[in-house]
Amino acid sequence: MSSNLSKPYGLLAEFHTAADIFEAAMRCRDAGFTKWDVYTPFPIHGMDEAMGLRKSPVGWFTFCGGFTGFFTGMTMIWYMNQFDYPLVVGGKPLFTPLFAFPVSYEMTILLSAFGTLFGMFFLNQLPRFHNPLFKNDRFKKSTDDRFFICIEAGDPRFGLEKTRAFLTEECHASVVESVED
Amino acid sequence: MALAAVASSVGALSVLGADAGHAASAPAADHAHEHVSAFSLKQVAHSYLTAYMFCLSLCVGSLFFTLAHHLFDAGWSASIRRVTETLASLLHPWMLILSLPIIGFAWTGNLHAWFRIDPATDHALDVKKVLFNPKAFTVMVPLLIFLLGSMARSIRAWSVAQDKDGAALWTTKSRKLAAGGIFFFAIGTTLLCFLLMKSLQHQFFSTMYGVYYFAGSVWTTLITLYLLTMWLAQPGRPLEKVYFKRQQQDLGVLFFAFTVFYAYIHFSQYFLIWNAAIPEETFWYVLREVGSWKWVGMTILFGHFFVPFLILLNQDIKRNLAVMVPVGLWSWLMHYIDVTYNVMPVIHPEGLHLTLWDPLFWFGMSALLGRLFWSEYRKNPPYPLKDPRLLEAIVHHEVSAPAASAASAAH
Repeated sequence: MSSNLSKPYGLLAEFHTAADIFEAAMRCRDAGFTKWDVYTPFPIHGMDEAMGLRKSPVGWFTFCGGFTGFFTGMTMIWYMNQFDYPLVVGGKPLFTPLFAFPVSYEMTILLSAFGTLFGMFFLNQLPRFHNPLFKNDRFKKSTDDRFFICIEAGDPRFGLEKTRAFLTEECHASVVESVED
Repeated sequence: MALAAVASSVGALSVLGADAGHAASAPAADHAHEHVSAFSLKQVAHSYLTAYMFCLSLCVGSLFFTLAHHLFDAGWSASIRRVTETLASLLHPWMLILSLPIIGFAWTGNLHAWFRIDPATDHALDVKKVLFNPKAFTVMVPLLIFLLGSMARSIRAWSVAQDKDGAALWTTKSRKLAAGGIFFFAIGTTLLCFLLMKSLQHQFFSTMYGVYYFAGSVWTTLITLYLLTMWLAQPGRPLEKVYFKRQQQDLGVLFFAFTVFYAYIHFSQYFLIWNAAIPEETFWYVLREVGSWKWVGMTILFGHFFVPFLILLNQDIKRNLAVMVPVGLWSWLMHYIDVTYNVMPVIHPEGLHLTLWDPLFWFGMSALLGRLFWSEYRKNPPYPLKDPRLLEAIVHHEVSAPAASAASAAH
């Protein structure tokens, strides 16, 4: 559905084999593209390195979640047992990290999991109901027997004709199509 | 942490009132006034036992790793299995021979107090005398080590036989032995550490003690294995072509997992005893909160758990030798301190008291076993040559794309 009003989302390049796309991914990486991705029907070993992907920052969200959980648990029990409603139970002190530990530990796990899940959502800009690539009929084969690279128009190095030439000539893509937003 | 405080602070409400608190520390009182001089046999015996328990950890930990490899039909660990097979095989005869002085020390009244106590006069001993009696000790300790060692030797013998003919039959045999053997391993290791270490204070109860020793043992073994295999995989050494970063990462991850598991187990033991506050159990930790033992406990809490835990949280650290080598050396020290924490308060209730015997036996025994390990390891191929899973171990690393500079240089 192309009209003059729609702006390009990016260029979609199709490949026939894992080896081809592996090679092409390395060329895209070396050309310095930043807003691009690889779509394959199955995981390809070594693709992370071929794409030059850095380590996921999700771990930091996990860590912050866990850290918050631990201290929330401790503070909650201190507040309830020592501060808000002091009550001696089983001859134990009003507060000690010892009996607060199991709960804090569970809170650590809970909020770590939340941090991981929501951190991943946040970084991937999810939830999102639609992706312009879904409109492309050819792209449906990415779950079957074709391999795709999409370089997005938002990439600072993107130029419609320049990038098309790069994908066709240097990356040896079989088909290069423009995808509209 | 707070056991002594619990006992004294809550007064009349406490199940551990002031009197109960004194009664609770009674088992330790036998030794309270007895000064153990640095050159007494008692000191030598306890230092020897500490070193022995440290070394035994590496052997049982390696046996566990070997059994687990076969139980899970694992692939990635095939190329480093000869190392654990050899370490575990040190149990028989070497650890068996090294256990004989312990039996001697016990019989001469220098180690386990109950060797000289009449069960009729000691209820705690009377109910446990089936296990804790000199004859049972003398038979069971060598027998258990012999059986565990024989299991390790059989698996290694089958693995070496496979090096010659490549038959899958040997793997199947090992897997079957591992399936039953893991139960014997659990019971045997528990009994061993009950007899050798826990019964130093025979009044103590803890069903978690076996798994506590196990957790610390596997923890130490994993980092030892990590360092050893890294050394063996250096250029020109035997594992160079079969050991890769991915396996290094996996060992690091397992070590990290056991850092947490150990803390979980040891905290649980402490926490349950603290919470129940039964004098037959609390005395053990009350004794370990006296004098500098309190700080040894804190060292275990932070040094055995928090520090390694926080360092190892980062994924890439597990491949960083500049960090992992110091962490490894630190872990050995921590496990040694952990064993010391179990053994030494019995003769030094006033606080940590190191003598020359401690490093002497620790380094001496480790060096001796290290030497024996090396000569045994070199007798056989350095990794299972024809193991059906060896290929999996070798390709278990990520196919690495050429780095940016190399790729651009190519075109």
